[in-house]
Amino acid sequence: MKKTIMNITKLTLIAFSLAIFSSCTFEEVIDPNGPSLDGVQEEASKGQLNELVVGIEATKRNGLGIETTASGTMARELYLFDADPRNTGDLLGKNGIGLDNNSFYSVAQWNGNYRCVKNASILINAANNTSAVTAAEANAYTGYAKTMMAYELIQVLKSYGMARIDIEDPDNLGPILDFGPAMDAIRGMLDDALDDLNGAGGEFPFSLSEGFSGFDTPSTFAQYNRAIAAMAAVYDGDGSGSLNLFSNSYFDIAGDLNTGPKHIFGLGSGDQANPVFRPASTEDNPNNGDQIIVHPSFIDDAEDGDLRVENKTAERPDPSTQDGLTSNFESTLYESNVSPIDLLRNEELILLFAEANIIAGNLGVAQNALDVIRISAGLEAKDYGGNPTSEQLVDELLMQRRYSLWAENHRMFDLRRYGRSNTLPIDRPGDQIFNVLPIPLSESN
Amino acid sequence: MKQNNFYRGRLLLFLFLLPCFVFAQNTISGKVTDESGQTVPFANVIVKGTTVGTTTDIDGNYSIDVPSIPTTLVFSSLGFATWEETVTVLGVTNITLKESAQALDEVVITGLGTSIKRENAANAVSSVSAEELVGTTAQATVDGALYGKVTGVNITSSSGAPGGGFALRLRGVSSINGNNQPLIIVDGVYYNNVEIPSGLRFASGANAGNEENSGNRLADLDPNDIEDIEILKGSSAAAIYGQRGNAGVIIITTKKGKRGKTKVSFSQDTGINTIQNRLGNRPWTRESVQEVFGTDERIKYENTINSRGELYDFEDIIYGNDGFITETRVSVTGGNEKTKFYTGVGYRDEEGIIKNTGFERLSLRANIDHTISETFSFSSNSNYVRSSSSRSFTGNENEGGLSYGYTLAFTRPWNDLFPDAQGNYPNNPNYPGNPIFVRDNAKNEDDNNRFVQGLSLTTKLLNTDKNRIKLITSGGIDYLSNETYVYVPETHQAQINGQEGFIGVGKNNFTQFNSQAIFVWNHDALDNDLGITSQAGLTYLYQDADAVLSTGAQLAAGQTNVSNSVNQTIRQTLREEQDFGYFGQVEGNYRDQIIATVGYRLDQSTRNGDPNELYGFPKASLALNLANFDFWNLDALNQFKLRGAYGETGNPAGFGATFTSLTTANIGGDIGQSLLGAKGDPDIEPETARELEVGLDVGLFNSRISLEATYYKKQVDDLILTRALPAASGFTQETTNLADLENKGIELALTADVIRGERFSWNTRVQFYKNQSEVTRLDVPAFAQPGAGFGTGLGTFFIEEGKPVTQLVGNIDGELTQVGDVEPDFQMAMSNTLTLFRQFDLSFLFQLKEGGENLNLSKFLTDLGQTTPDLETPEGQARLETPANAARFVEPAGYLKLREAALYYRVPSKFVDRVFGDNVESVKLGASGRNIFTVTDYSSYDPEVSVNGGAGLSSGIEVTPFPSSRQVYFHLNVNF
Repeated sequence: MKKTIMNITKLTLIAFSLAIFSSCTFEEVIDPNGPSLDGVQEEASKGQLNELVVGIEATKRNGLGIETTASGTMARELYLFDADPRNTGDLLGKNGIGLDNNSFYSVAQWNGNYRCVKNASILINAANNTSAVTAAEANAYTGYAKTMMAYELIQVLKSYGMARIDIEDPDNLGPILDFGPAMDAIRGMLDDALDDLNGAGGEFPFSLSEGFSGFDTPSTFAQYNRAIAAMAAVYDGDGSGSLNLFSNSYFDIAGDLNTGPKHIFGLGSGDQANPVFRPASTEDNPNNGDQIIVHPSFIDDAEDGDLRVENKTAERPDPSTQDGLTSNFESTLYESNVSPIDLLRNEELILLFAEANIIAGNLGVAQNALDVIRISAGLEAKDYGGNPTSEQLVDELLMQRRYSLWAENHRMFDLRRYGRSNTLPIDRPGDQIFNVLPIPLSESN
Repeated sequence: MKQNNFYRGRLLLFLFLLPCFVFAQNTISGKVTDESGQTVPFANVIVKGTTVGTTTDIDGNYSIDVPSIPTTLVFSSLGFATWEETVTVLGVTNITLKESAQALDEVVITGLGTSIKRENAANAVSSVSAEELVGTTAQATVDGALYGKVTGVNITSSSGAPGGGFALRLRGVSSINGNNQPLIIVDGVYYNNVEIPSGLRFASGANAGNEENSGNRLADLDPNDIEDIEILKGSSAAAIYGQRGNAGVIIITTKKGKRGKTKVSFSQDTGINTIQNRLGNRPWTRESVQEVFGTDERIKYENTINSRGELYDFEDIIYGNDGFITETRVSVTGGNEKTKFYTGVGYRDEEGIIKNTGFERLSLRANIDHTISETFSFSSNSNYVRSSSSRSFTGNENEGGLSYGYTLAFTRPWNDLFPDAQGNYPNNPNYPGNPIFVRDNAKNEDDNNRFVQGLSLTTKLLNTDKNRIKLITSGGIDYLSNETYVYVPETHQAQINGQEGFIGVGKNNFTQFNSQAIFVWNHDALDNDLGITSQAGLTYLYQDADAVLSTGAQLAAGQTNVSNSVNQTIRQTLREEQDFGYFGQVEGNYRDQIIATVGYRLDQSTRNGDPNELYGFPKASLALNLANFDFWNLDALNQFKLRGAYGETGNPAGFGATFTSLTTANIGGDIGQSLLGAKGDPDIEPETARELEVGLDVGLFNSRISLEATYYKKQVDDLILTRALPAASGFTQETTNLADLENKGIELALTADVIRGERFSWNTRVQFYKNQSEVTRLDVPAFAQPGAGFGTGLGTFFIEEGKPVTQLVGNIDGELTQVGDVEPDFQMAMSNTLTLFRQFDLSFLFQLKEGGENLNLSKFLTDLGQTTPDLETPEGQARLETPANAARFVEPAGYLKLREAALYYRVPSKFVDRVFGDNVESVKLGASGRNIFTVTDYSSYDPEVSVNGGAGLSSGIEVTPFPSSRQVYFHLNVNF
C-alpha cells in the first residue's frame, strides 16, 4: 500500500511538473471579431485596400441624421419630436440653457465625420505602403481618399466653424484651426487629390457604390473633386477663384438639377438606413412618434406655388405638439428608408455658382442662375424692379437656398456666414438662437 | 475558555492512529445518539484539555479510558453542536447530540485548499448561512437575498423584473471598466454571472446592450441549495485568488449529505408580487388640460370623464398585476461512513407585476461525497438548471414605443388604449407605442440551460503523527446555453428606420473550465503547540463565449420566425481567454494564540498586454487571540482578537482591450472595413489593488454578545479606464491604465443573543458600514465616463482627481459642477430573530441607506409629457421653468426598508406524532414578506436603480425602470 502511494505521489509530481512547463506559455492573442488595423498599414493587398474604399463610402454617412436634424432645429427649419427631450430643449436654448459639448447633438456629427476622415487617412497610408499596387493605382486610391476627406472636413466646418485638419498621428494631433486657415488647407487637399486623380490612369482599381454612378472613373470622379473645390472656394469667399472650378465640374446650368453623387442606403447587414427618413402619417395612422416636423415659418414664408414646399412637406391629419411647440406639417423629403441623399447635386452647384458671381460682381449671371432655380420650382423669374443690387441678390440667394436645400444641413451655416442668425424666429419665451455647435469636450483630452 | 485547540479534522486522523498506544486506565463508555434517537457514528470523543480521545463506532458506541475522574468529555461531530459532559462516575454515559445549523459557520476559508476556525481568522470574512439567506422569506436570487446580511456590500437592483438584475460591490468600486463584480465560486467552480443582452436595442433604440434590462445569470443558482456563503471582501482576504480577486470573492458551498438517517424534506411556498410603491397620476382638471394641451384635448378629457366617470389609470393597468409565485422543493439527504449525498429538486414560477412577465427555474442538484479508501476521497457536485424569464420592455429607449415608463410619460389618461371587440389596438396619439398592445403582444424572453459540475479528489499522500500531506485536485465546468428572443409585431406603432416589426433571436454559449492542484502539508511542531499548514498549487482558468444574434425586420404578417423577415442581420461576438496561476501559502498557529499567514500568488492571463508576463500578489496576516493567552483572566470576555491583514489582488483588462481593430462597414451590398474606433493598448497591465485591513473581534459571555470591528484602506493602482479620445483622431475611446483609486471604510457588526430559552429567545444583529472613494491619480484631464449616464448635459459620472469615483457631474450654466454622489454616507442593517411561546419564530430585517444621490431622468420625461404627479402643484410648475440640467434631476436616494419579515409556527412534535405517526418528523407553517415597505424622499418607484445594468459605474441613474415589487408568501415545510 505504501509503495502504491509513493508511486502515485511520484506520478502526480511528474504530471504536476509537466503541467507547469506545458501550460504556462500562452500564444499571442488575435482578435477573433475583426481584422487588425496593423494588418492594413503595411503590405496591404488590393482586396484590403478596396475594402477600405468601401468603408470610407459607408462611414461618410455616420452622424448624418443628427447633423441634419440638429442644425435644422437650431436654424428653425424643423423640429425633431422624438424620445430625447434635448431636441426641443437644448437645441432651441429653452429656459436659457446652453448647448452642452458632451451631448449627442454636439458629438455625433463630429465623431461620424472624423471616423470617415481617419478611414481615408488609413487608406492613403495603406496605398503608399504596399507593393501590391502600381503607382497609378496608388494615385487612384489617394485621389479618392483625399477628395472624400475634404468633403467631410467641410461638413465639420459648416457645423462647428472650426476643424482639426492634421489628424495623421492620433497621439499628436494638429491644432483645431479657425475657419479660414482650415478652409485653405482643405482647398489644398482637393488640389492634391486632383493631381493624384490625373495620374491615376483611365479606370479605378476599385468599384464604388451606385451612388457614384457616373463618377466612378478617375476623370469623372475629378469632376466631383472640382465641384467640391468650387464649393470650398465660395464658402471661403473666393468668388472669382471659384468660377473656373465650376467648368471642370459637372455643373450644368441647363442640366438636371439632381445630377451628382449620392449617399445610398440599404437594409442589408452592416449597411445603414436613411437617417432623415420618417414614416409618413396617414389619415388613420398619424406618425406620433419619431417625427421630423416642419417649422411653421417654412410654410408661412414660402411664395405661393413653390413646388418645393409641396414636394418636401405634407400636412398632417392632426397638428403635432411637443414641449410647447406645434406644427401642422411633417417632412416628406425622402420617400423611404433607402432613398438616397445627395452629396452635392447640380441644384446646389447652380446656387453656389450664383453666389460666386454675386461675390465676383457678375450680378446678371447670378440673377440668371437664381431664376433657373425659381423656374424649376414652379415660380416665375423674379422682378427686382430693374437691375438687382448685390444685397437684393443675397436675399434672394438665401431664400432659394432655404427652399432648395431645406433640411440638408445648410441653413444654419448660411445664416451664420451672412450674419443673419438673429433674424430667426423665437418660438417660446426663454428660447435662444445658437448657430454653431460647440467643439466636443473630448477634443481637449 | 482557554484550551489548546487543534483542528478537529486533524485530531480525528491523529486518533485513528493512536488508540493502540493508549494504556488502559479508567474506562467510560456509552452510546451517542441524535435527538431523534438515531445513532451518531464516528463522533469525536475527547478528554477535555488532553489529546486523549476516540471516536464512536458505526453503532454510535464509544469507550474511552480517562486518566482520572471527575473529567470532562467533549463530544463533537459534523452537523451537531459540540457537547461537553462532565463525568463523575466510571461506566456508562449516554449522550444525545443536538443538530446545529451553525456548525459549518465555525470555519472560514483562507486559501484555496484549507480553512480556518473563525475565531482564528485575520480577516473580517462575512458568512451567510442557509438560515440567514433563505430562512426568513423565499428568495428568487442569491444576490437579491444578501441585502442587509453582509457588512461592506453594496447591492444595486437594476431591474424589478422577476429574475432580478443585481450588481454587488464589495467595499466600493474597485474597477470602472473592468469587472467590478466579485468572483463567484460555487463548490470550487468559477460561476458565470454574465449579463446577456438580447438585442432589443435594435427595436427600442436603446443606446447599448447594458440598457436592455437583462438579468445577471447568478439567477440560475437556487438559493435554497446553499449551505453557506463566505464573502472575502477585500484584497487582503482574497489575495490568494490573485488577478481575479480585485472585486472580492464570494465562495458558495451547497448542501452536503450527512451521515445517518435519510431525511426527506418538502417545502411549498406560495406568494404574490405586487408593486411596492405607486407614484399615482397627475390629478388633471378640466382647467389644467385646457391650459396645457388646448381645447381639443380638453374635449377628449371631458368625453372620457363623462362616459367613464374617471380617467384611465395606466400605472395600474400596466404595473398593477398581482403576480402569483409558487415554489416547490423536495430534498433528500443522507449517507453512511463512506458515502454521503444530497439531492434537491426545486421549481420556482414567479409572475411579475406587469402581465406576461415572469421567471421560471427548475433546478436539479446531486452532491456526493465518497471515501474510496484511507487514501482517496472525492466529491462531486452536479447542478442542472433550466431557467427562463420574460422581462418585457422597460428602461431607456429612443423612439421604440416599447419601454412602459417611457410610453406612460407621454400617454394621456383620457385616451382609451384597450383593443376593440375585433382585437384591434388603437394607436397612442401621443407616443409611438400603445403600452397595452406591447404588454399583450411584444415579447422579450430568455431561456437558459445550464450545467455546472465540480469534482474534487483528495489524496492523502502521507500520514504520520507530525506530518500530513495531501493533494487536492479539483476542477469544474460551467456550461451555459442561453437563448434570447425579442419579438415586436409588425402592427406595433413605432417603426424605427421604417422597420415594420422586429425579431431578434440570440444563441449564446458560454463555457468556463477551471482546474487546480494543491499540495497541503500539515506539520505539528513544538510538542503540538505550533501547527503549520503549508500549501502550494497551480490553477488554470479557461473561458469562452460565442454570442450570435440574428435579427430581422419587416416581418410577414403575424409571423414570429426570423426567416419570415426582410431586413436580416447576423452579429457574432467571440471571446476566449485563459489564466494560469501559481500560489503558495504558509500558515502558523501557535496554541490558538498567535495565527500568522504569508502567501504569494503569480498569475498570467491572455487578457493582459503580454499574456506570458507573471504578476505577483503577496499577502500576510496576523491574528492575536489575547483571550487565549495564559495571562488573560477576564472570563466574561471570552474572545478578544486583534487582527491585521495585508494583501494584493489584480484584475486584467477586459477582453479585447489589447486590440485596435477594424469592423465591417458595408454600402450597397459591398463589404467594407472601417476603423472600429476603440484604440487598444497592446501593453495594458492588470489593475492591482493593495489593501490593509485591521480589526478587533470581541466576544462576551461565551460569545453571547460579539462585536466585529474592521477598518480597511484599499488602493487600486493602474486603474484601467475607458476614456473618450479626441474623436478627430478617428478613435472615440481608448482603454488603458490611467489612474489610482482609493477606497477606505469601516465595518461594524454586533450580534447578541439577548434572551436564550426554549420558550422565548431573541437574537439580534446590527451592522454598520461605510465606504469612501477618491481618485488619487489621473494621468489625463478629468473626463465624463463614457456609457455611464447621458453626458454632462443631463449629468454623468465624471472621473476627476481628488473626487469620489461615484460623483455625478453636470453642466450647470456652462460650468461642470458636482451635483451629487451615488455612494451612500453609510448603510445599516438590523435583523432580529425571536422565538415566542416555544412554537413561534418571528424574524425581521431592516435596512437603512443614508445619503447618496440619484439622477431621476424619468422625471425629465414625465415633465416633458406633462404627466408628473406633482404638476398640479406650484412646486411642480416652478420646476418646469428651470433649465433641464443635472441639478434639476438630482435627488436624495437614501431609504429605510423593511427588507424581510416572517412569522412561522412549528407544529408541536407531539401533535405531529399523533397525526402522522412516524411518517412525518416535523411540520412548519408560516407567512413572510420581502420589500414590505420603504421610507424614502426619492420621488420615483425605488431609490435602487441603474439604467446601465450591473457593470461599471452604473448605479444611481434612472430612466423608467421596471418598478420594484413587494412579495408576500405563505410557507409549508414538512420533514419526513
